[in-house]
Amino acid sequence: MDQIYIPKNRSGFETGNYVLVKPLAQNEISGRDIEKPFIYGVSKISPIKIEIIKSIFSLINKNFCPDNVIITGSFLEEGFKFNDIDILIVDEKKQDYKELKHVLEEKIGINIHILSLTSSELREGVSSDPLYENMLSKFISCKRIILNIKRKILPKLLDLHLLKSKSIIDNFDILNGSEKYYLTKNMIAISLFIESKKVSNESINKEIKNKLKVEADDIKKNMIDKESFLRWYTKEYSRVFTMILHMIKKKENKDGPK
Amino acid sequence: MGQNRNKLIDLFIGNMCNAILHKILEKAIDIPEIASKYNKEILNSWNIAKIYREKINPINSILHSKDTEEIEKRIIQRVKSELLIRISKGYKNINIEEVEKFVKEALREMKIIE
Repeated sequence: MDQIYIPKNRSGFETGNYVLVKPLAQNEISGRDIEKPFIYGVSKISPIKIEIIKSIFSLINKNFCPDNVIITGSFLEEGFKFNDIDILIVDEKKQDYKELKHVLEEKIGINIHILSLTSSELREGVSSDPLYENMLSKFISCKRIILNIKRKILPKLLDLHLLKSKSIIDNFDILNGSEKYYLTKNMIAISLFIESKKVSNESINKEIKNKLKVEADDIKKNMIDKESFLRWYTKEYSRVFTMILHMIKKKENKDGPK
Repeated sequence: MGQNRNKLIDLFIGNMCNAILHKILEKAIDIPEIASKYNKEILNSWNIAKIYREKINPINSILHSKDTEEIEKRIIQRVKSELLIRISKGYKNINIEEVEKFVKEALREMKIIE
């Protein structure tokens, strides 16, 4: 029996659908590469999401011709529990994407979050910012990207990032579940980054369970016990803060007086 | 009510400290082009502080001078103590002299002082 191989992450049809097999015309073959997005770290994605992504790529490429377009964030997680679609537009020239955001939101009916950056900003971000590394642990891009980036630990910058997460301690009652999760994720991503561990949603959620004794989903749903959570959170915050201060001291001693 | 008001003032002070600390530390980063990219992060604490400010009393009416002096004093103390922790661990480039200036600017913007 002859066999036909198809990509696991494909658009247009689900498992079990009847399909028609026919030879490709020459012009269809030449246009195929543009149609096929580059998928990194995503093990499973529904065909409908691939269709949405392809329509986003097509609209952006038609109107702006950027160097690359990258889709990241919760949209790439399994299921339909995402809040928005995160789009990174990589291009050397900065353009105004307000209208594009509006058009995409009208067309797709999902909130769009656009971040515009140059390729050097993207490289710098991934190498020095734990949340950028997390963001690019899973993505779908219009063109192939090779992210062979060495981590650059800038302790003063990490101190600044960590400060953001301090606000949970003072504002537990006022923050909603997503805000609490974002700030917790930020702190845990920093600790994984410093400890040279992988920074991805899976590793962050595992570490949240390990260090803070709660499930990441319970934080998102805002269903956590304040006293117990803050006890573990404060302990972890001061551990990470101490590590950063230690690195700052080491770096400042190495660089000499200013 | 008095207890609630004191709690709101505490929360306002905590968030203002975070926002001001962020501004000062941003200036201490050795790579300015990186620091400037993170300006938006400051907005988080600043926006929360704004929520509490509006709850303390209507934004257009001035606070009692006793309260404003107390708020200013406590913010300066807390920001300085956070900075001193870092300085004692060897953090360089922090200008502690600027704290009062930053605090006054921020309180003016929040309509706590004139």
